[in-house]
Amino acid sequence: MLKLVGVETFYGKVKALHGVSLEVQKGQLVCILGANGAGKTTILKTISGLVSPEMGTVRFEGRRIDQMDPEEIVALGISHVPEGRRIFPELTVYENLLMGGFLIESGDLLRERLEATYDHFPLLKKRRHQLAGTLSGGEQQMLAISRALMLKPKLLLMDEPSLGLSPLLVRNIFRTIRRLHESGVTILLVEQNVNLALQIADYGYVLSNGKIFISGTYEELIEEEKVREYYLGEGKYIRRSRLWSG
Amino acid sequence: MTELLTGLSQEVVSGIALGCIYALVALGFTLIYRATEVVNFAQGELMMVGAYVNFFLVSRISANLGITGAWMYFIAFMGALLFAIIFGIILDLVINRPLRDQPVFSVIMATISISIILRALVAMIAGPFTHIQSSPFGDGVVSFNKIAISVQDVFIIFCAIVLVILFYIFFRKSRWGVAMQATSADPTAAQLMGIPVKKVYRLVWIFATLVATVGGILLAPKTLLDTNIGFIGLKAFPAAVLGGFGSVPGAIFGGVILGIIETISAGTLSYHFAWIKEINDVIPWLVLIAVLMVKPDGIFGIAKVKKV
Repeated sequence: MLKLVGVETFYGKVKALHGVSLEVQKGQLVCILGANGAGKTTILKTISGLVSPEMGTVRFEGRRIDQMDPEEIVALGISHVPEGRRIFPELTVYENLLMGGFLIESGDLLRERLEATYDHFPLLKKRRHQLAGTLSGGEQQMLAISRALMLKPKLLLMDEPSLGLSPLLVRNIFRTIRRLHESGVTILLVEQNVNLALQIADYGYVLSNGKIFISGTYEELIEEEKVREYYLGEGKYIRRSRLWSG
Repeated sequence: MTELLTGLSQEVVSGIALGCIYALVALGFTLIYRATEVVNFAQGELMMVGAYVNFFLVSRISANLGITGAWMYFIAFMGALLFAIIFGIILDLVINRPLRDQPVFSVIMATISISIILRALVAMIAGPFTHIQSSPFGDGVVSFNKIAISVQDVFIIFCAIVLVILFYIFFRKSRWGVAMQATSADPTAAQLMGIPVKKVYRLVWIFATLVATVGGILLAPKTLLDTNIGFIGLKAFPAAVLGGFGSVPGAIFGGVILGIIETISAGTLSYHFAWIKEINDVIPWLVLIAVLMVKPDGIFGIAKVKKV
């Protein structure tokens, strides 16, 4: 469904991705793992068109999308829940959802999707006239996800949905992600919470310094010593920087 | 005493009319600032160009088409609005798009250059003359008690109110209006929703040119028309800051307040205290400094915490 081949992305003169290749099959939940600054967010930004790769190709359903504008890519069926939620704080919950459905031309369809969202997340219905900025972190994440779902995307990109949430809420969010996955949405997930992410993912890529370092299923990755060392806290020593970043 | 009161209320009413013009120019500042974080220093010149286009159309329509009276003004008004739309699109193409990823500072410099270029261009095309723009309402006056208001002033206030209501409905109720708010809050997130951000920016520039043009058309009959009326931007700017830069109600409120202060200080105050007359041009700025000392974000401004 989605295929990246040899993607190289730059920020100005700084190379963020050094030839990344990865694939997401229809119906899969694929997870990208990696340290801070490894380029995980850049991969998602490259897919959704916020940055264009200098080299390599991004194909979605066989079509090259790497030189398209973000709004064209959204229209093809890729929605992106950005890092840090990025809801519109000065708009109401309802208006945020309305913006999620900006590309829906028919008013009936828009109302239908809104109702469906409110059915899934009754809390959002209760808060629909409240400014989105007044919601709690977990509620904002719910809003960010349902906003991206307004278009019924074929592929959902999620960037660290658990960031800054309490452990209870993190489990909640993961339950939501799993439910979405089971309902048939294809998901590409970037996550720092390796244990939880690998538990729900069908396949994982580990990114290091802008390159795919290793990839495999949960079982394969969990067996891999290097992954255990780096991410599961079973290494002989932990680098000092990682000690503080958790 | 009653004489003083009549004089003051007379000045308040004309001040409101003048202030509505400041408010329209300040609204233009606000729209562009909200969407792109750029302070468009050419806003006053956009107003001047609008006034000139209207003046040109009025004289052409009466000379070439032989249409006079209300229709002449109406057709010229519509023509000027049409021009404003095209002009807004051009400005978006010339200033906004090429400088999209440059520092805000460069874009502000570009708007300053545009303002100088526009002033020079208009002087070249129209000649360095001072024109007199007739008002569609002639010298008509309505009076309440002892207060007399020119019909032109009533029309100015009416237009400003209608425009503000239209903008309010647009921003609150329409899909594109909400999309404009979303884009100014977070352009990246807006792009991810599929909002065509480039089109939104174009729309913003069109709106800013439109309000400026309407302001220019309304102002011209009140003053003489020359290339320097664009300097009214220098008064609309403190108006916008006074109300809270970036706030729509703030721009309107600040404009009206400054208009009232200006007429009162030029009228009653100057009459009673001769020295006030000397500092008339400084008064908007003095008021601004006084307000900012108490409320640094302006009257309607909200202290913004920039999240990283």
